[in-house]
Amino acid sequence: MSARVGSANVGVIVFPGTNSEEETVRACRAVGLEADAVHWNAPLDVVREYSAYILPGGFAYEDRVRAGAIAAHDRLMTAVREGAAAGKPVLGICNGAQVLLETGLVPGFAGASGPQAGFARNAPSGKFRSTHVYVKLTIPPERCTITAALKPNAVIPAWASHGEGRLAGGAATLARIAAGDHLAFVYSDARGNASEAVVPNGSALGAAGLVNAAGNVLALMPHPERDAWTFNHHDASREAARGDAAAMLKPSGGIALFESFAQAVRQWS
Amino acid sequence: MVVTRCVETTLAIPDNEAATARATLTRLGIPLEALERADLYKIEVECKRESELLAALRGIETIFNPNKHRLAVRKTDRPDQGELWVEETAALESDGGTISVAGRALPGVRRLQRLVSWKLTAPGGDPASAATVARAASALLCNAAFQRAVFVR
Repeated sequence: MSARVGSANVGVIVFPGTNSEEETVRACRAVGLEADAVHWNAPLDVVREYSAYILPGGFAYEDRVRAGAIAAHDRLMTAVREGAAAGKPVLGICNGAQVLLETGLVPGFAGASGPQAGFARNAPSGKFRSTHVYVKLTIPPERCTITAALKPNAVIPAWASHGEGRLAGGAATLARIAAGDHLAFVYSDARGNASEAVVPNGSALGAAGLVNAAGNVLALMPHPERDAWTFNHHDASREAARGDAAAMLKPSGGIALFESFAQAVRQWS
Repeated sequence: MVVTRCVETTLAIPDNEAATARATLTRLGIPLEALERADLYKIEVECKRESELLAALRGIETIFNPNKHRLAVRKTDRPDQGELWVEETAALESDGGTISVAGRALPGVRRLQRLVSWKLTAPGGDPASAATVARAASALLCNAAFQRAVFVR
């Protein structure tokens, strides 16, 4: 962790078992943010100084009990909860998204405590799945500070890589998620067409990402940071860049979400 | 004719998952003398094929390694006092009529449900009370949004 925590710094929270902090920090730095990997034994006072937090992907605490369940009660989450309540941008990716649902920060219904929904085992296979996906923004961009700089209906490439990514909840909960503009992203094809066929995990509502009521906490199951440079891409752009190192190393695709996140961090700071 | 059997696998070696869960529950104000975890398979099997069931399960290395697991048929298909069973929706296993675990077909099995069992022992050594089990379930062990807690109330 760096010695100085600046006003536009992002704390990328690392629990035992987190494995995506490096590419997440790199994506933040690519959009001009200062970012540090903040380990679980960091002093809370230091963690509280960050302007924003990202809970990256991995298998925090080996997914013991349930994915995200132990991490949701980790000491560091005190700082994240306080930050979220104060309006700091908080982004959870994959395992981080699972943690945010286990804390109840997302969807964060008024008056609710504890988890209101969860990411359950993929259906119908019940198995871990790693596949390239696209996610489409389904809320007005300004509904969420983290998506505010995206275009309406923006389509972002990402990699889904999880065994427990199926949004699950009671019928009333799902209706409330839909009615309350909590459904931030759905799975879609590259053109933004959403259908059951492109949902990799049986997720209710085709959900890929949810936002809290206040609009500053976003839980996104697929990994945009794993498709944030041309060499990551799953389309013709990667082949077109072959032999051109500068083009191959250019941030693009999933980096759009981090650019929007950066705007949110700067505005909060 | 079909009978329901509850088969559980438990670790014979120290269970890190249970230790982590117990430490977290302690931090959440629910101290326990012990916490044990088991994988449960609630199985409806044809009577005439029941004898093959245990042998088939013992042959699935991903759920039963004789060097570190115990596998047993429980006496009842309900939790004991101080025990919490966590059921997950959409956890029924079916593959076009053939039910399999870890890719291995189970002969004569009509229905299979996977559950997780947590056995909570209160300070002093008695099974945890229903109130303690309920608190542990809602605090950590069960996400009621998509799981169901089953215990003796």
